[in-house]
Amino acid sequence: MIDLDTFRADARAWLATMVAEFGRDARRGLTDEQDLALGRRYMAAKYAAGFAGIHMPKEFGGRGLSGLHKLVFDQEEAPLGFPTVYFGISLGMPIPIIMKFCEDKAWVRERVIAALKGEEIWCQLFSEPAGGSDLAGLRMKAEEDGNGWKLNGQKLWTSHAHQSDYGIIVARSDPTVPKHKGLTYFWVDMHSEGVEAKPFPLLDGTIVCNEVFFDDVKLTDGQRIGPVGGGFGVAMATLMIERYVASDADGFGPTIPFFVDFASEVEFNGRPAIEDGRIRSAIARNYALRNGLRSIRDRAFLMMEAGMEPGPEGSLSKLVSVRSRQKLCELAIDIQGGAGLAYDREAFGQEDWIASWLSCPTGRIAGGADEMLLNTIAERILGLPQDHRPDKGVPFNQIPA
Amino acid sequence: MTILYDEAQQAIATESRRVLDDGYDLQRLLDLVDETGQHDERLWQSAVEQGWTALSVPEQYGGLGLGLVELGLIAQGLGAVTAGAPFLSGNDAFVQLLLAGDDKGTREAWLPKIAAGEAIGIAALGEGSSPLPAEPAVTYADGKLTGTKSAIAGALQADVGVVWASSGGSPALVLVELTKGMRRAVDSFDNARLYAELVFDGASASVLLSGDPAREAARDGLARQAVVIAHEQTGGAEKAMQIARDYALERKAFGQPIGAFQSIKHRIAELYGLVELARANCIDAAAREGEADFVLKACAARLSASEAYDTAARDAVQIHGGIGVTWQLGLHLHMRRARSLAAELGSPLFWEDLLVGELEGAGA
Repeated sequence: MIDLDTFRADARAWLATMVAEFGRDARRGLTDEQDLALGRRYMAAKYAAGFAGIHMPKEFGGRGLSGLHKLVFDQEEAPLGFPTVYFGISLGMPIPIIMKFCEDKAWVRERVIAALKGEEIWCQLFSEPAGGSDLAGLRMKAEEDGNGWKLNGQKLWTSHAHQSDYGIIVARSDPTVPKHKGLTYFWVDMHSEGVEAKPFPLLDGTIVCNEVFFDDVKLTDGQRIGPVGGGFGVAMATLMIERYVASDADGFGPTIPFFVDFASEVEFNGRPAIEDGRIRSAIARNYALRNGLRSIRDRAFLMMEAGMEPGPEGSLSKLVSVRSRQKLCELAIDIQGGAGLAYDREAFGQEDWIASWLSCPTGRIAGGADEMLLNTIAERILGLPQDHRPDKGVPFNQIPA
Repeated sequence: MTILYDEAQQAIATESRRVLDDGYDLQRLLDLVDETGQHDERLWQSAVEQGWTALSVPEQYGGLGLGLVELGLIAQGLGAVTAGAPFLSGNDAFVQLLLAGDDKGTREAWLPKIAAGEAIGIAALGEGSSPLPAEPAVTYADGKLTGTKSAIAGALQADVGVVWASSGGSPALVLVELTKGMRRAVDSFDNARLYAELVFDGASASVLLSGDPAREAARDGLARQAVVIAHEQTGGAEKAMQIARDYALERKAFGQPIGAFQSIKHRIAELYGLVELARANCIDAAAREGEADFVLKACAARLSASEAYDTAARDAVQIHGGIGVTWQLGLHLHMRRARSLAAELGSPLFWEDLLVGELEGAGA
């Protein structure tokens, strides 16, 4: 296997040749559609260059390298601001899930390669109006229909659903048993009759999330992933993958070195802001925190390489990193005072304090709200008692609405 | 160096924990709080028997020749039991500074004794609130040392020290044998740390290193000591968090364990986060010794471990309610130790500044 330093150098050299066509500056002024098209071209180029599916098995069209190689590539790619956002969830959770669970390997291989090339996009249809933090409380109905299934109901907060070709979905196949036991997991074709995705803007103006309506959508039983009634288990496996995919020590926001540069250039009280003790304190504490997260992540990857199960501390990343990002964004705006009020709507979130700040609340809610993560840590890791749950053990259709 | 512990390192962690748990004596620790000049000699004897004093001494001087990772693991164990013998990190700092010098005679004179537990060494670098002043007020001239060093852990029982001093306008690391008259006991809120100021009034001493090499060695030595103490803090923080967790499971109020209330369980979950971040920073720093970013990583470890221990100790007491503030329960041993360890080697305020300085340097 190619060593990490050589791999990093290769990646860096290749990425440098892509900046003019796909970098931040090239994306300025594009419509969402144009940007997505640019993103698809980038993914195709990435596939051709051998940097797609870096840690995915060769049999499915990946390169068969380690998770650390993937991490190295991501570290090099992320600061360049390429249009990859459309493919993050797609390749992060649904693709690994179909690789792991679907039996028609030839079909899976086709899907994986199409997703790696950016030709197809997958979404993850989990949350609903009545089931976000309480995922198992979802109401999407899956009824047996001949040899297959029929879906009726609504999903919510589904990122990129309006741009997706396929989705993975959890639905209630049996309302007469307690809520965790009556769920079944499927993949769906988002172009099927009866599927309608309606995008809506979030508070920062970005249009990523959708309401998705299912009206008598027919599925074959071959689209089922895992056993009937075993959907919650597959959903948990999906979220376990998400823990590492959706993990970035900087909370997907500006880095500490970026803040240091900023605080060295901008003045406060007539001196470089970085000379102010309060600002130094914030930098130091946030650096220490993020360095800890990086160390946890690196250790987890090393353990996985060595065939060991990484420790549960990996679950801290999302909880801790986005809070850090939120506070540092607030401080950056504070340092500038009135000069910090101007907002460039096209700014890149990793290099703009306001753009980053506006999307922080999403980061603290999507993929598990802070409060849910704390519950999970307390209950699963520390063995503290569960909250009082009046719906526990009660058949779903007898839970008071 | 890898950041995964190997089997030998894991065995050191397990075995040291076992020894420390076996020797744990709450009453003895409570007694030590109020006495200056006393430490837990039984614990120290078992430390010597276990070879912990020899751990980082090179083999040629009768030591085991192990590194910062192993030392950190022992320190974590000591932190967990709020050990009443503060010699591990000071001894190691002394050893490192002696090794940084090029005087074979002093190494041969002192290192075997340190390894065998026959002598205790310290590094006396700090003055006032700074653990390493740029221009130390303690001066060395003509074989004599003059001035005062601020409270140093273990100094009340130490036999020998390396002192950070000014010598003719440039810094120097100076070796001095310590006598009773030089130690001025500090009666503190955590007397088991054996704090003493060192007052030199023409004490006879010899230069180990001077100028820039001395500055570099002192800085590396301080960073290394910070990493060892950070492990100790992390061990204490983890223990305080576990004590809080166990109590929250056992104590009932309003018809359920108090750990079922989110105000309690979330607080303990936050402690878990702080402890794991501190541990991760410690592991990272211990693996970076000798690298260009070692001081930066040491700062991160020191800061996150100080925060973890202070918060865990504070919250553990709070979660216990009334029983937490009693003398006899002994939770205050963690509260005291969290503060003393945070303050004794440059407080977080110092390490914050140093960390940002390192980041600025890296960018320049």
